[in-house]
Amino acid sequence: MSRSMDRLERARPDVTAAIDRDALFARIVATPQDREQPQISGSGRRRLLIGCIAVAVLCLTAGTAFAVTGFNLFGWHTDTTIVKSPREWQRLYHDATRRLTLPPGEHWPDPTLPPDTVTSRSQPGGTAVAISQIAWECYWVHAIRHGDAAAGRQAHAALDNLLAHRVLVAPPGSPEDVAPPVGTRPPFAIFASDGGVQFVRKMYRDAADGHPATLIQSCRANGPIGTR
Amino acid sequence: MTHTHTQAESAEARFAEVFQNLGSIVRYAAARGSRDPEGIAAEVMTIAWRRLPSLPADDPRPWLFVTARNLLMAERRRTGRQAPLDERHTETPAPEAHSGDPAVTAALMQLRPADRDALLLVSWDDLTAAQAARVAGISPVAFRVRLYRARRRFEQALSTQQGDVNGSRTVGMEST
Repeated sequence: MSRSMDRLERARPDVTAAIDRDALFARIVATPQDREQPQISGSGRRRLLIGCIAVAVLCLTAGTAFAVTGFNLFGWHTDTTIVKSPREWQRLYHDATRRLTLPPGEHWPDPTLPPDTVTSRSQPGGTAVAISQIAWECYWVHAIRHGDAAAGRQAHAALDNLLAHRVLVAPPGSPEDVAPPVGTRPPFAIFASDGGVQFVRKMYRDAADGHPATLIQSCRANGPIGTR
Repeated sequence: MTHTHTQAESAEARFAEVFQNLGSIVRYAAARGSRDPEGIAAEVMTIAWRRLPSLPADDPRPWLFVTARNLLMAERRRTGRQAPLDERHTETPAPEAHSGDPAVTAALMQLRPADRDALLLVSWDDLTAAQAARVAGISPVAFRVRLYRARRRFEQALSTQQGDVNGSRTVGMEST
């Protein structure tokens, strides 16, 4: 090798990846994979192309309809409800806390709507759901650290119940201000359709199977100081 | 159910092998001036997982580097960063001054983007010529020719940087 090439190799940037590889791996494999696409013949490809054009035209017209009505086919719609005052926000939040649970010994914090803030009426309930979820996660971590199997099972059941009844997944491609079908009883937290819920479910399954690393990390990242 | 479970385990095992390249992709992105090399690498791996069945079974490395390059270009467009005039329409992100050797960086920046990419894929990213050819999207033979010329041009550029007249004599042998 010439001296120039040797010098080029020595000049290679020294980069150390500061990534938690295990956590990243776990997060990625918890997300869904694309379905394998079958091979399509030439004529099939043409038919598919024509079909795609037809669907695109349909989507364009449907998109216009969506913009006009604010509703899509699944009943999910643009959330136009607005919280009018901090007082109303707190009332909605307290209503939500009455329908949710916290681990033994925990108390609901008393947040409020920050000044000059506009938010939807489902947001206080979503906040309460998130507080409940994080509290139960940290309670579970505490139970694991202290070998309290009964408390661990209680936390796991509470979290599964929360995921089953208080966590909704918006249709793929939904905007951030999407709301579930009319009649959905609050409180609820809305997750994007990006694999986040599957990741959370896997985190709980792993913790129940004796692999709580991601759960501990979640509590450390999200839990209030003192519970981490 | 058991069959599905086994399939999932098999996919995870294969992905674990692909995931071994995480550090290489971080280094690749960092050396090409990414603002978030770890984010790029994480995104490459996420896409790799999603498309695992369509990844080349024999060697996923070229696919990973091509995906990283596409994400780098997208990052550059997003952040509105301007490449030098002659590089705006290429698909080769330029390395920035991260090499720790200013003369080397300056010499690299004098090369055509395609030449620079060929050189760095082999010298910094440890790809074989065959792998790098797949990243560049050309045949292995064409890549070897490009690499040969890139080396000559780099030597000349580095010599110029150092005021070494011997370098220009070497490059004078080239036909292009």
